[in-house]
Amino acid sequence: MSKKIIPFIVAFVLICLVMVVAGVFAFSGAVTAEKFGSSTAWSAAYNTAESMKVIDLTGDGQDELFIQNSSDVSVFDGSGNRTWSFPYTSPKTTLGDVNGDNVEDIIVFYNSSQGMAVDTIVNGQAGTIATSLPMGTAARNALIRFLSGPEIVLGDSSGTLLAVNTSGQTLWQNRFANEEIRGMDDAKISGQTYFAVASHDGTVAVLDAQGNAVWQKNQEQLRRMRAFDLNADGNSEVITGGEYGAFFIYNAVDGTPLFTQQLGQAVSEIREVELNGDPSSREIIVGGKEGGVWAFSFSGITARQLWTGSLSDKVTEISGIDIDGDGKEEAVLGDESGSVAIFTENGSRNNLPSHSSGITRIDVGKLGNERYVVIADGSEVQTNKVNFSSIPGFRFTPLIVGLIVSAIILIIAAILASIPPKPEMKVSFVDKSKESLEAERRMLKESIADVERLRKSGEVTGDAYLSRLKRLRSDLADNEAAYKTAGFPIRVETIKCPSCGGTLELGMDKCEYCGQVILS
Amino acid sequence: MPILCIVGAIGIVVVSLFFYLLNTARKRTTPQTATTSVKKAFTPVYVSIADKPDSIMRGMDKFVAEVQKTESAGDKWRWIPMLIFLAGVGLMLIDVLLILLGYISFIFTAGGVLLWIAALVMARSLRKSDSFDFSPRYKGTKEILHTLRDDLKPNSTFLGHLDLTGAMLKTKVARETKDSRDRTTQYFRDEWLSLKAKLYDGNILRVSAIQKTKNRKSYMQRSRISGKYKTKPEKFKGTEHDLKVRIVVNPEAYTIVPSPAFRHGQSIGKYTISALSTENGIINVVANSPFDEVDQESILNFLKSAYSLLQRKAA
Repeated sequence: MSKKIIPFIVAFVLICLVMVVAGVFAFSGAVTAEKFGSSTAWSAAYNTAESMKVIDLTGDGQDELFIQNSSDVSVFDGSGNRTWSFPYTSPKTTLGDVNGDNVEDIIVFYNSSQGMAVDTIVNGQAGTIATSLPMGTAARNALIRFLSGPEIVLGDSSGTLLAVNTSGQTLWQNRFANEEIRGMDDAKISGQTYFAVASHDGTVAVLDAQGNAVWQKNQEQLRRMRAFDLNADGNSEVITGGEYGAFFIYNAVDGTPLFTQQLGQAVSEIREVELNGDPSSREIIVGGKEGGVWAFSFSGITARQLWTGSLSDKVTEISGIDIDGDGKEEAVLGDESGSVAIFTENGSRNNLPSHSSGITRIDVGKLGNERYVVIADGSEVQTNKVNFSSIPGFRFTPLIVGLIVSAIILIIAAILASIPPKPEMKVSFVDKSKESLEAERRMLKESIADVERLRKSGEVTGDAYLSRLKRLRSDLADNEAAYKTAGFPIRVETIKCPSCGGTLELGMDKCEYCGQVILS
Repeated sequence: MPILCIVGAIGIVVVSLFFYLLNTARKRTTPQTATTSVKKAFTPVYVSIADKPDSIMRGMDKFVAEVQKTESAGDKWRWIPMLIFLAGVGLMLIDVLLILLGYISFIFTAGGVLLWIAALVMARSLRKSDSFDFSPRYKGTKEILHTLRDDLKPNSTFLGHLDLTGAMLKTKVARETKDSRDRTTQYFRDEWLSLKAKLYDGNILRVSAIQKTKNRKSYMQRSRISGKYKTKPEKFKGTEHDLKVRIVVNPEAYTIVPSPAFRHGQSIGKYTISALSTENGIINVVANSPFDEVDQESILNFLKSAYSLLQRKAA
């Protein structure tokens, strides 16, 4: 094969390789040029929101922004004007229809002058339904719509649960755990509503309307508990995130662990986000105390990890919004350093403008005629219009890049093929006449005898001797080959001394026996 | 911190690649010096000589021309790897532009990296077609052959070799010694020129030029202060040249007579005679030179002086 062909063969193989890889990237849709941007519609001063929700609290069909911190419960209208504001001491709030008018109301569990109390705020009118409740500092509250009727379940920092009805009458009390209640949610079992609850000490349970445990588990200390019916089978899954990174999904029916994974850092937030747009499986986004982000998909039997990502600090809030209108939600995450990022279905991260203080709450909803991402940080609440843009046809750029690279490879192959091969660095100038070949033969024999003499005298030893001998013998073999090719007979390797007749090796110039000089 | 290290490492690789390609593009133009040292690299070439002087000299010229042809064929493409490198930079800048516009893209960067690899491969191939300068000994040997060609017996050939593969090859280690501190010193023996010629006057001339080099190998030494082991680099301890001349005298044409101009201890050019024997009609001379390099003039002068030992017989 001609040496000029080899560069082209190598180039062909490389080009095939490059184009196959480029094709895989192009047609898998892995390469995109997309970006998310945001513009602020309005912002209002509000310190360190603890709870926030975009929801219709007036029944007019327009959503308002409910927000609460450690001293205040307020509602803003769609334009950013504060419509209601109520001062409270260390309140914990939840939303639910207390009076049955199909409009969400605000339930406030707080520390009043008459001990622990519960208020309801219905269309801007606050009213106290219970006071002097035998409980410690408010930790969580929830409105659970049991089959027997709605109950307001209150949890305190010492692990006590107390349920009242919508009139404020105590229904049951339960010393559930020894530490702060960290999660309350409604859980479905065979379509019926039950109450999932968890304490910081690691106690997780599902209770019935009388406060009796359907099941109860103890795990490592936990920070978050949520309950979702992830596969819409009428039975919820209870999801917990531990203080030391344990992530569990329990079956709400009997507390059987369906999935568990060690995440390596404390779980600071868990939310459900419909990442892939397929309602038959729900995706869960988990945020870690060190900034870790994980996405899991639950198919009904178990979960699998979709991707992982990270933020620069403790993940404080997670929310989902379909920004690009493709039927799939993007996850919007905020962290304690003020960073806000959007994670797409495949886990790619896109940053939104950062905030000067840590993000405390994020929610998504329609305020006025636009859908906004509402972000609360340490000093204000901000409504942002998030937009999406992409470069059309960008997915095919790998093919263009592949063609450019292939063209360059081909040019290089052509250039290298045009360069003549380097000549052999061992050259021989040998006359092929009989006399010349004989003379060369004699010289080589003399040289071999010289080398042997040097070895015997110790002047040349080891590798140097062997290397020189090898080279001379190789030259001798070449000489004999040339000799035979020319058709000359190879004579015996000895000569006779003209003086004494002694037999001498070819190449000797002095007789070993009589000392006669031999001119050969 | 790890990110900084990675960025730093990538930066060093890119800068190294840039200068490698730049040096490939800027062809080496160092002039060939008249003298040589063992440290300077020359084209390693081995020439077997068994031909008439004109054929040898023509062959040597042709060989040089062939090497230069290969080199000059690669020369006109030397800027191409640098241009490919810059094309890679251009592709990467597209990604930079996209990132400035808010889009995250690395596909053009990947293409740019591939172009850089292609540029490196091409530059290496071009450099392989490069050759070092020919040793001054190559030209010197040609001049020796040119000078002696008229003294050669008609239709006879020069025999021998010209070995310019290097004086300090492993295969040329004649012996090794170890000192009291277990340091190894290597003695190289490089017979770079060997010539035999049957002369017009019936004498047979043999010349061997040998370079002897002494080099101490690198070794580990324990520091007396810190106690740590340190590697000491190898050390070049010097070189000298031997010239062995042997003339088998045609007794019908010459008688050997002593000459005050050519005796033991006599300096002739760069050489000093260290051994001289004229027994049995053969002149054996060994001369040494402490110089780093000896030129063809010194060798030819020495050969000319050796003939002062011969007195032509009356016809």
